[in-house]
Amino acid sequence: MTELKYAELQKSYQLELKKLEKEEETLVDELNNMLNQKTFLEDKIKGLAKLLPTLKVIKHEAQDLVNTVNNISDSSEKISGNIRSLDNARSRVEECQARVSDLIDLEICSQGVQTAILDSDYEKGAAHVHRFLSMDQSLLKRTANDMDNISNMLKSVRTLQDAASQLRAIVTHKFTEAVNAEDLVSIERFFKIFPLLGLHEEGIKEFCTYLRTKVAAAADKNLKSAVSTPPSDKRHTIVYADTLTLLYEGLARITDTHQPLIETYYGPGRLLAAISILQKECDIQTKRVLLEWGKTRQINKKNQMINELSRMSSSSSFNKLEKIEPKDLDILIVEITLMHFRIELYNRFIQRKITSDAEVGIPNQDDRNNILKSLEQLIKNSDLSQCKHELLSHYLRLEQYYMEESVAKAIAMDSVEMGQQTSSMVDDTFFIIRKCIRRSVSTGSLDGICVIINNACRVLESDFGEVLRGRLRQGYPSGYLDLTQAYNVLQTSIQQGRLQSGDTEQSRLAFLVALNNADSSTEYVDALCDNVLKEIEQALPNLNSNERGKLESCLSGLSSVTTNLKDIIEYGIQQLRSSAIKPRINPWVDQFLNMSHHLTDDELSAYEAGESFVQTLIMNLETLLSSFKDILTSANYDLLTQVLTAEVTQRLEKVIMKTTFNRLGGLVLDKEVRSLAGYITAATSWSVRDKFARLTQIATILNLEQVNEIYDYWGSHDGALTWRLTPTELRNIIALRTDFKVEEIRRLKL
Amino acid sequence: MDDYKFLFKVVLVGNAGVGKTCLVRRFTQGLFPPGQGATIGVDFMIKTVEVGNEKVKLQIWDTAGQERFRSITQSYYRSAHALILVYDISSQPTFDCLPDWLREIEEYASSKVLRILVGNKIDREDREIPENVGEEFAERHNMYYLETSAKESDNVEKLFMQIAEDLMKQARTRDLPRYDSNNQTIDGRTSTINDSSCCSRLQ
Ligand SMILES: Nc1nc2c(ncn2[C@@H]2O[C@H](COP(=O)(O)OP(=O)(O)O)[C@@H](O)[C@H]2O)c(=O)[nH]1
Ligand SMILES: [Mg+2]
Repeated sequence: MTELKYAELQKSYQLELKKLEKEEETLVDELNNMLNQKTFLEDKIKGLAKLLPTLKVIKHEAQDLVNTVNNISDSSEKISGNIRSLDNARSRVEECQARVSDLIDLEICSQGVQTAILDSDYEKGAAHVHRFLSMDQSLLKRTANDMDNISNMLKSVRTLQDAASQLRAIVTHKFTEAVNAEDLVSIERFFKIFPLLGLHEEGIKEFCTYLRTKVAAAADKNLKSAVSTPPSDKRHTIVYADTLTLLYEGLARITDTHQPLIETYYGPGRLLAAISILQKECDIQTKRVLLEWGKTRQINKKNQMINELSRMSSSSSFNKLEKIEPKDLDILIVEITLMHFRIELYNRFIQRKITSDAEVGIPNQDDRNNILKSLEQLIKNSDLSQCKHELLSHYLRLEQYYMEESVAKAIAMDSVEMGQQTSSMVDDTFFIIRKCIRRSVSTGSLDGICVIINNACRVLESDFGEVLRGRLRQGYPSGYLDLTQAYNVLQTSIQQGRLQSGDTEQSRLAFLVALNNADSSTEYVDALCDNVLKEIEQALPNLNSNERGKLESCLSGLSSVTTNLKDIIEYGIQQLRSSAIKPRINPWVDQFLNMSHHLTDDELSAYEAGESFVQTLIMNLETLLSSFKDILTSANYDLLTQVLTAEVTQRLEKVIMKTTFNRLGGLVLDKEVRSLAGYITAATSWSVRDKFARLTQIATILNLEQVNEIYDYWGSHDGALTWRLTPTELRNIIALRTDFKVEEIRRLKL
Repeated sequence: MDDYKFLFKVVLVGNAGVGKTCLVRRFTQGLFPPGQGATIGVDFMIKTVEVGNEKVKLQIWDTAGQERFRSITQSYYRSAHALILVYDISSQPTFDCLPDWLREIEEYASSKVLRILVGNKIDREDREIPENVGEEFAERHNMYYLETSAKESDNVEKLFMQIAEDLMKQARTRDLPRYDSNNQTIDGRTSTINDSSCCSRLQ
């Protein structure tokens, strides 16, 4: 009956709509006619304009035209008004249609829902409810007020509301039943019904809670199998890392398989809610695995021992027997880095998933930012992250101990092969440090990497550097170097940490090897910094500028270890200077004083024919340098020759100042200085001009023909030299020429 | 651009929640951050200041207070030029922990490190540690003392500027090396061979 009434109502509205549409058509026609007329009239105006004399007529007609145009505009206004009301009418008709169809659906749904429930066709029932929920509830109320007989409609609404709550209860109950019965088909079936009933949050909660039980069951099984893995098993040493991997892979799989389901039936942007629930299980299971791991691997005991050892070693009364062998920690450290990296990967997975879900599903920027903020909180506050931090802490303590102990061992087992410039501790130490830093990179944690770099820096400067320093501090015994015996004996004695005072050859070799070790270490450090940076950039490609700054600061600390090493080298070279160079060179150069530098022509020829001072000196220097040439690294050898050059030139300068010369004596000196400089230039790879500058100038002065010739070299003209001697020094030197007149020298204007 | 003459590392330590991060933010960014979470591991910030016409770059390391980050934070003590130990004047427990922190500093930091004790949050009404108590503690342990409020920006600028000035003075008179951009001696760890006692073995 009511249906009939609705149909009638609809019919009358449609009739009215048709009438209005017809009216609109005639009005539009009229308007078109008028518009045609308008162009016609405009043509006419143009014609009339030419007829100025008949202005009066035209004016009259123009007036007419104005009237016409006004009429036209009036009509168009009217027409548009009509159109507007027509639009209004149409939207009212549409609303009316919607209301009618809502009312019809309401009726249908309310009738259908009960049947559906009775038939256990929950999808259909929920679809009815969904249709009902999708109706504009305030519109429904308005319709009800407009109607004569509202009781029917209200009844339908009530029916549907009841049905909705009934269905909610049923679906929740059925879902629980399905879960208990492990009835996967029903679980999925009811999971899809929840959102139809407006139960999005509940549906996700129920479903993910169910998924949690699956995760828990699988994790339980995996942990049991981990615990019972026999030590003979290949993966026994990393079985807990494997267990964590299974856990996170399982969670990731669940997320991946159910994400489309959630997105289809619940809409996008709901992944955060789902993952938050799963995270609780992830937290619980991770903690269980780690607890078991800690017990099995005796992690606390090891930590405690390491702590005690470090305390004891600082009080220097520790017992070697109680030490943990660093090699035994290797496996454990690997397992920890694996575990840490797994957690890191899982966190990155969640982050990626939720971020992209929010980007696709949440158009509003603020809402999206809120989701991302919640995501950050979820990760930051999860027990999983806590576990991760604790694992990293374990890792760092063990790795630090490993590094220190292994380097100490490398030092203790130091040996030098016959003919080698460096000893094994350098290769070994840098191998260890590189290994540790690499391992830190494999944790995936920038903070972890930075700490290991800091530790490497400390070990190199303190432990390693201190040993080199200590060996150099023992000094270089003076005397000639003869290495034939030294290598053999050094092998054993170097390991005792102290050489017997009698073994001078070994002491010399040990000293030079330490010096070479320092030099070779600077190269190792540079290479290490380069490689490490590359590896880190590869492992962590998305560092932000702040993280980069952090890393670079730590790396620059490592690279500045070279400064420390250069200090060590400088110290060693100075030792060599005072014990191997200076005492040898001084008597050789002092021979200069035993020679006459007042030569006649005959004496000059005789001098040049025989063994001259400089030839002997060069021969001696050659012998000295060649004894070091093969045993020192080329950089150290260069440093040594520099020191030697400085010593020779300074000493020679000193003895020259104690000598007097005649013309030929000066000539000979100039030649000798030249050949000395030539020899040293050939012996080294760096330029000696600077070191020889003063000496060369002294020789030039003493080789003058006449006093006034000095003006060729002195002054600001083109040929002048850049003098390294002060005017006073110059006068003193020129005065060494006994054939020059004192007054002439005094008259020099310098 | 990087035309600074000195680079100093400043490390902040102290219990979680005393306001280390806020102090650093206040100084480097001029703001009091609302509700940021606890620091994870270490944070790193840079600010260049001017001391008597010289540019000084301060590299500030803000550490997490919790025990589980200790192995991370400890590794930064050694290269620090200055250590700021912070407590909260409205929280007795944070003051009671100071000896533990000092022990840690003794163990890991250079003996020459500049040490400053800071009582933060003086804007709060519920003070538990009187100023003179903090001051005496600092004096007893050979530290500078300053009270601050990161919230009200009290003494924050002064704290860091004083550190910069002090380290500059040290650098000029003592063996803290000048920063030289060609070779990266950015810290004071040049133990010269004649002075073997100096920081070659810190532990
Ligand atoms: N009233 C007050 N609160 C502060 C001050 N500095 C920090 N806080 C608050 O103390 C809490 C911890 O600060 P935070 O900087 O994170 O401490 P941190 O753990 O030492 O880095 C935050 O809630 C801050 O708002 C301050 O000067 N005054
Ligand atoms: Mg903080």
